[in-house]
Amino acid sequence: MSLVRNFIEDWSRYRRSINEGGFHEYEHMWGMVIDLDKCTGCNACSVACYAENNLAVVGEEKFESGQGMHWLRVERYWDEPNIGNERVRDTQEHGGSFMPMMCQQCNSATCEPVCPVAAAYHTPDGLNAQIYNRCVGSRYCANNCPYRLRYFNFYSYYEDSWPSPLDMQLNPDITVRDKGVMEKCTFCVQRIRSAKNTAKMENREVADGDFQTACQQTCPTTAIVFGDLLDHDSEVHKLWHKFQTKLGTTKQKKDNPELRGYRLYEQLNTEPSVTYLERVRDV
Amino acid sequence: MAEETTTIAAKDIDEKIAWAKINSDVLRSMENPRMGYWLAIGVSIAMLMVGIYSEVYQYNTGMGPANLNNPHMWDLYISTFVFWIGMSHSGTLLSAILHLFHADWRKPIYRFAEAMTTFSLMTALIFPIIHLGRVWNMHWVIPYYSDRGIWPNFRSPLVWDAFAITAYLTASVLFLYIGMIPDLAICRDNAVGWRRRLYTFMSIGWRGDDRQWRNFRKTYLLMACFLIPLAVSVHSIVAADFAMAIMPGWHVTSFPPYFVAGALYSGCAAIITLFVLLRYFFKFEQYMTLPILEKTCKLTFAIAMVWSYLNLIEFASVWYGHDIPAKEVLIAKFSGPYSPFFLGMLFCGSVLPFTLAFKKIRRSPWLLLPISIFLNVGMWLERYMIVAPTLSLSHHPWTWDVMWPGWVEWGIVFGSFGWFGLLFLIFVKVFPSVSMYEVKEMVYHRRRVIFEDAELRAHEVKTGASGAQPLTSTPEGS
Amino acid sequence: MSKSEFDRRDFLKVMGVSGVAATVAGCDMPSYITSEEGAEEVIPYLSPEEYVIPGVGVWYASTCLQCPAGCGIRGRVREGRVLKLEGNPTMSLNSGKLCQMGQSALQSHYNPDRLTTPLMRKDGALAEATWEDALALMEEKTGPSSGISGHRFAWYTGSVSGHQNVLLKAHLEAMGSSNHFVHEVINTRVWQAVCKEMLGQSMPTLRIDKAGLVLSFGADFLGTWMSPIQFSAQYAAFRSGDERGMLIQAEPSMSLTGANADLWVAVRPGTEGIMALGLANVLIHKERMDASVLPPETQELIARYNVSITSRITGIAGDRLIRIARHLKNRSPSLVLAGGPAAGHTTGFEAVQAAMMLNILLGNVGETIEANADFAFPQLAALGGGTTDLNRFAHAAGSGQLDALFFDGSNPLFGAPDHMNLNEKFDAIPFKVAFSTFMDETTARADVVLPIASAIEDWGTHVAAYQNEQHEIAFQQPLMEPIHPLTRSFGDLLLALNAMRSPGTYDEIDDYYGYLQSALGAIPGVLKGEDAAEDDPLDIQLWNQILQDGRLEVPAETSLFTTSVSIKDITSPPTDEAFPYYLVPTPRSSLYDGRHANLPWLQEAPDQISKVVWTSWAEIHPVTASKLGLEEGDLIRITSASGVLEVPVYIFKGIHTDVVCVPMGQGHTEYGRYAKGRGVNPLKILDPGEDTRTGELALYGTRVGLAAAGRAGRMVKMGNTESQHGRKIVATITAEQQRRNEGES
Repeated sequence: MSLVRNFIEDWSRYRRSINEGGFHEYEHMWGMVIDLDKCTGCNACSVACYAENNLAVVGEEKFESGQGMHWLRVERYWDEPNIGNERVRDTQEHGGSFMPMMCQQCNSATCEPVCPVAAAYHTPDGLNAQIYNRCVGSRYCANNCPYRLRYFNFYSYYEDSWPSPLDMQLNPDITVRDKGVMEKCTFCVQRIRSAKNTAKMENREVADGDFQTACQQTCPTTAIVFGDLLDHDSEVHKLWHKFQTKLGTTKQKKDNPELRGYRLYEQLNTEPSVTYLERVRDV
Repeated sequence: MAEETTTIAAKDIDEKIAWAKINSDVLRSMENPRMGYWLAIGVSIAMLMVGIYSEVYQYNTGMGPANLNNPHMWDLYISTFVFWIGMSHSGTLLSAILHLFHADWRKPIYRFAEAMTTFSLMTALIFPIIHLGRVWNMHWVIPYYSDRGIWPNFRSPLVWDAFAITAYLTASVLFLYIGMIPDLAICRDNAVGWRRRLYTFMSIGWRGDDRQWRNFRKTYLLMACFLIPLAVSVHSIVAADFAMAIMPGWHVTSFPPYFVAGALYSGCAAIITLFVLLRYFFKFEQYMTLPILEKTCKLTFAIAMVWSYLNLIEFASVWYGHDIPAKEVLIAKFSGPYSPFFLGMLFCGSVLPFTLAFKKIRRSPWLLLPISIFLNVGMWLERYMIVAPTLSLSHHPWTWDVMWPGWVEWGIVFGSFGWFGLLFLIFVKVFPSVSMYEVKEMVYHRRRVIFEDAELRAHEVKTGASGAQPLTSTPEGS
Repeated sequence: MSKSEFDRRDFLKVMGVSGVAATVAGCDMPSYITSEEGAEEVIPYLSPEEYVIPGVGVWYASTCLQCPAGCGIRGRVREGRVLKLEGNPTMSLNSGKLCQMGQSALQSHYNPDRLTTPLMRKDGALAEATWEDALALMEEKTGPSSGISGHRFAWYTGSVSGHQNVLLKAHLEAMGSSNHFVHEVINTRVWQAVCKEMLGQSMPTLRIDKAGLVLSFGADFLGTWMSPIQFSAQYAAFRSGDERGMLIQAEPSMSLTGANADLWVAVRPGTEGIMALGLANVLIHKERMDASVLPPETQELIARYNVSITSRITGIAGDRLIRIARHLKNRSPSLVLAGGPAAGHTTGFEAVQAAMMLNILLGNVGETIEANADFAFPQLAALGGGTTDLNRFAHAAGSGQLDALFFDGSNPLFGAPDHMNLNEKFDAIPFKVAFSTFMDETTARADVVLPIASAIEDWGTHVAAYQNEQHEIAFQQPLMEPIHPLTRSFGDLLLALNAMRSPGTYDEIDDYYGYLQSALGAIPGVLKGEDAAEDDPLDIQLWNQILQDGRLEVPAETSLFTTSVSIKDITSPPTDEAFPYYLVPTPRSSLYDGRHANLPWLQEAPDQISKVVWTSWAEIHPVTASKLGLEEGDLIRITSASGVLEVPVYIFKGIHTDVVCVPMGQGHTEYGRYAKGRGVNPLKILDPGEDTRTGELALYGTRVGLAAAGRAGRMVKMGNTESQHGRKIVATITAEQQRRNEGES
């Protein structure tokens, strides 16, 4: 009988949670805002990520084969389809369009349901976690990621990515991944954990600004804002609110449709936690 | 003379064959392998060795040398997996479905088709395993109770795959084995040495008495009924691997029936290939007759048309839909770097089967051999064209990339053919590749038909009545 | 100052903690790798060494030496290893931010190709030697008994500042020489000279954040120009103010700053100054701006460059010039900057002058260009390098004027164009000592190679050349113990050299650390009270505070501008039949001038513009490409009067049609496994030529011919598309829309 009762309770909680946006039981809901107008495309975030997260340098040959491990890649496009500049005429009048792309930490992530061993799962922090130990390397998650932001260890990169003493730089807070494991941006989960531990020891909640992700911390123009979306005093919550991006929708309903916030491919209903603010050009 | 040929040719099997001759012909095929056989075995083993070497290399090095990369996380492994799964549908079609439909002409050819089912499943099973980045942890996909209480993710189509394939493999092995028991008893009675011990063990005391036959019939019928939904589901689930994904070109509702049709298609084509080869090498001309070949061809043609139709449905639904990335993938298939393969697939899969519309071709085995092989090349290309272009062109343009498989992938795909060939070659020398008891049934039935025919004609002559009912109902049992 | 009370090592552990303890990780191995043997050593939990608490990261402040901007950094140290660098938030220069070059300083420190032992040339080849032998040889060749003195001795360094500069000067004085060549390929010397002449100050404070419009003639202030991190922060404020600022970039090939411009204009190389004059013409004659701030001669000169003439020379459409001028007028205060591409010509000085004249005409001086002070301690101020010194050095070495050369922090043999024949001239110097961390091109030709500590293992003080209104001395302190036991601190070596040449002067000083402490103690009000007696002890609390902050703010008394305008005419480069194209050897904020080519992170970091990794490439315009029949990745042959390069092409529209741009940084023939034998070095084929006023090399003045090499090269690139294919990836809205929605919030 208890089985049935549990089932009914779970189900009703699930139904309730859908009405409330699905995230009411979360402790935190880590989210990000990236202002594409401030982003200069300088690539500092990407290298900071390499330094923080033990990302392997794969070398020219493997990079050429598309086996690079840049969790955070800065993409650069030359056209501007949104202002009708589908084809650049004779000069690149408005510069380039830069796009820092890290795992969007989707809240209805396409990678999670397809993993046969549940190595890709959702944490109560609203993160897409990847359990390296559990991963069997079916790579289904990466195939199903519309953003293509999952990176697979095609080789045992550690064997020649950090010739001694470069290996002394490796961050002991996270692992070095071996071949056959999928990996991706974690929103610097080791920093989240340590901030939570510190807050717990000090008997308080994690406050906004207790920690920063590596990319956010280094960003010379402060284009990246990271924080807890459930914390109404956090900078990131304020920005989401200001630009009227919300979770739980495939199309943002805004009072003013020209407000800059959008999430990448939200029409796919992946519920990303990263809001991009549109790039602005004086034309 | 011409008249004579047509009458003989119209018969699926000659009713004059003596039962002892059937036994001896089939048993003869299992004995005294000739030089060519050993050569074939050698080639198969060599191919298999290439595959094993590649896999060992990959095991030690990682998935990198297979040229997999960020957009192309899957490639030849998964497409070849789908290909082999598809091949496995032939046996089920011939033995189970046609059994239920009482299509007697299936009888001389269903045994090797069933063997093909089993062996191609065993080949297919290799691929999802070796495509894992960490093969040594493959058992984590299987639900088993562990102290840590960790289960696989039941939402994942890959887990469904694991269930479906293992169930289907078990069922088809059982089906093959059960159907073989009366024949194994015949073998037992004619064998000496290790073969005798093997057949004695495997024929589990078959004496051919009435109770055994009745139980056998029931079991066989039940297994057939059980296997059909399984076969449909297994390929639907393989289709779900793709259809459940969000990727353009995979996210297609019609994929399950499309995959099943494709599977039956490639299975039929493979049957034709093996039909021609076995008929020639084992001198089975009297059993694997041209009318049967013709019927197989007609069946293949019908399935080819179903497959082509489903293909068109897919194109149309993408074309008239609003999924821009999916449309781009479709256009890229026709015009991009993959277009030779895609157009090749359309040619092999939808144009080439029209040759089967000609009776001349349907009845010339040596023409059918290359045709059937090309049909299967087309079907392999179809699987490759499902996997690769979508990964090349998905939602996010930044990672668009065309990739060609690396040597390790080719090595393993090559090796899989060796593995299949080896299993099949061993099978045809150890087990009867033509069902003796069912051929006898067929011959018996044929005799009865002729007899009743003669009766009827005599009756017609006597009474002058015309338009008599043809007698096609067959009595159950043999 | 007497001997310091603290052992250096203990000091590092106890004092330099900047208060931010990070990371308590539960399950880490309580072990660390000792640098000497690579053996694991177990740290007992019961009595751990001070500040080596397993699993606890401690942050120490220091200074980034990856480029001359001199940003403050903090390094996270755990179990005796430095793991990650972040910007130092207390430094006003970079306020907690860091670029990718700064992040990669770790890899320079942990690099597997570091020099670990002294080397001496024996029988023509460098062989391992001991410090004693090396120093003995140096004493023999340059010591008091060597007989060498005067200008026959020289130091060759990169930009130096702080107490390093003091000691270098002291050494040169002791040697009786004034030959200090300071080499920096990427520099702002022309800008400084122009500011000095026209404003009376060489480094005025720039306020991009206050500007309504920035017009930049090739100044890549987001990438490599002057103090990019500081300017990036200003840029963020500039973009997000109530009224979003507008950035117009005019340059021959797109820089990172250009890629962020609202309006990017391709200008024919060498005509930037004429464009500035043309804009002034429009402003005065079309927009009716008051030209009375300009002297009559200048007004006459401007009057010559009307729209059609300017348009013809610069290749910029007339209506565009008018539009830019209108924006300049309407969006006051504006800011006009001029960087390398404008300055790197024989008339570079005049071009930058013309840009500065625009600032004066538009009334930006005092608004977005603020007066700054000279550094309070001139002996510590930055000695910014340039390419003038490279030329001077080539001349001195070529004419046999040098007997001994010490060099540090610079790689002239990589940066020197082939026409200088610097290799031979360098070899002709009888005695060359390299103070080096890597076996670079120059070090490989030295007679004695001394392995020095990396920037992360050393003490130091640094003063950035460009200071904002807050002047500060940046402190460099070791973030960990030396990895290689045989390396020595450059400061210690300088002290030793000084002691060698002038015995007795430095007897009381243990090491460079002690020297720094005593030198700062000698400044009143820094480590002691204002009226303290000379032998009062130092206030260690204050010293600790300085190390924790990583900086010491020094008073800056702003002086006033003295504006003077006198502009000469600019001759635009003539057309050249044999070499119709211009070579632009642009610096990028990753490999910089080539000094970072040995850092795998930066090699694998895609270039901001082309997204190419691990190699060199040439950027050309599609029009040029189709003229030459080139597709992306094909090799192009670039021929100048001084040499030939073959390099794969990247084709895009952010470049003038007559320009080929080859970023500098690759093409090393030495410099470790990551750099050696990769790509080409565009500096090698530069033509002779220099700015007539400052003597800086005309880096952007080389004329080249282009041809297809007829085969495909290898160019590894991230991303296979340049286009969004109609998707909403980087969505763009117009500034008009943005103003409507966010303007007054």
